[in-house]
Amino acid sequence: MNATDRQLIEKSDKKWFDELVLELRLRQVHGSAIGDTLASARELLGDTGQSAEETFGPARDYAAQLELPAEPQHTWIRTALWPSLVSLLAFLLFTQAVTAWAQSEPLLVSPAQLALITTPVVLVAFLPLYLAAAIRRVWLLILLVLICALSGFFSGIVAPTNEADAWLAIDPLPWLIGSAVVMVALAIVNTVRSTRVGSADEITDPLAEAPTGTGWGSKLFAQVTNWLFPLFALGMLGLALLLG
Amino acid sequence: MNALPPDLPTPEHAEWPSDWLRATLGFLALRALSAGPSYGYAIIGDLEHNGFGTIKGGTLYPLLTRYEAAGLVATEWRAGDGGPGRKYFALTDHGRAELARLSADWQRFTVTSTAYLTPEPPSKETSA
Repeated sequence: MNATDRQLIEKSDKKWFDELVLELRLRQVHGSAIGDTLASARELLGDTGQSAEETFGPARDYAAQLELPAEPQHTWIRTALWPSLVSLLAFLLFTQAVTAWAQSEPLLVSPAQLALITTPVVLVAFLPLYLAAAIRRVWLLILLVLICALSGFFSGIVAPTNEADAWLAIDPLPWLIGSAVVMVALAIVNTVRSTRVGSADEITDPLAEAPTGTGWGSKLFAQVTNWLFPLFALGMLGLALLLG
Repeated sequence: MNALPPDLPTPEHAEWPSDWLRATLGFLALRALSAGPSYGYAIIGDLEHNGFGTIKGGTLYPLLTRYEAAGLVATEWRAGDGGPGRKYFALTDHGRAELARLSADWQRFTVTSTAYLTPEPPSKETSA
């Protein structure tokens, strides 16, 4: 095998291993079991010199055949999906309330606007039904993001400009404070959860004491992700105060 | 592990129907561990050396994972000498008992099949 062949195999193997991790994650397999599977596969590939696809077949099929111990699906729905959904809802409420509050006006709501705002919430709520398909097909993921962005954009367009056109006219301050409190509280809960020792989300190398993905960069990334909605909300508040 | 018996096909020509291998690979893999703990590549090599052809990792590892979950084999990671670590599989007492049971069942099955497949000597009526 020449150097070019070796490089091609390494490239295809990297893609195969990425797919395997993704497939095992979709099956809610524990991080330690994923680490063990990756190390076993690398061990055999090191012995045979073959490509991962040739030795183990397609990553998706191999992940299915392994039947590794996994968390039940309702666990991630309870610990990840519902907090994200509530955070998203709070963020959407915050973005609607912050402009009205900055301009010292009531928060005006129309039915069409409400329907458009709830579109992303409904899409996230039904995520367990199509998550695997969305992750495996990039076009579907782009379509979902596009629908969410467009619904946000059009909700701004159809927002009533005066109280006569509005379905509801409410004081924005309680909504602003309430949504901010919810976002911060959930970010704190997620931060505590993700820093807990022995989290099943960490992929652990069976031969190493420490998890493989606990570098400073990945820890920071995880924490920034937990605080994404409060950070965006803070940006929106700054922008509204500047423009108001 | 074992020397290749003379009546088995040579490994180069060992192309058994995949259904047969699917049915027997479980206890063949247990048999490959009966001499002591071993790792993936060595198990594949042992099966190949004994005339069963080259078993893919994508076939063997899911089987061993299921056996580990069922308590038939125990696993242990050992650091490699300058290379990556190795995952060793070892038969548990339960696995050893299961191997003995399946081996006995398989031998009874092959005796029955062979007896049934052996052509009967032509009877007097048909030869007449």
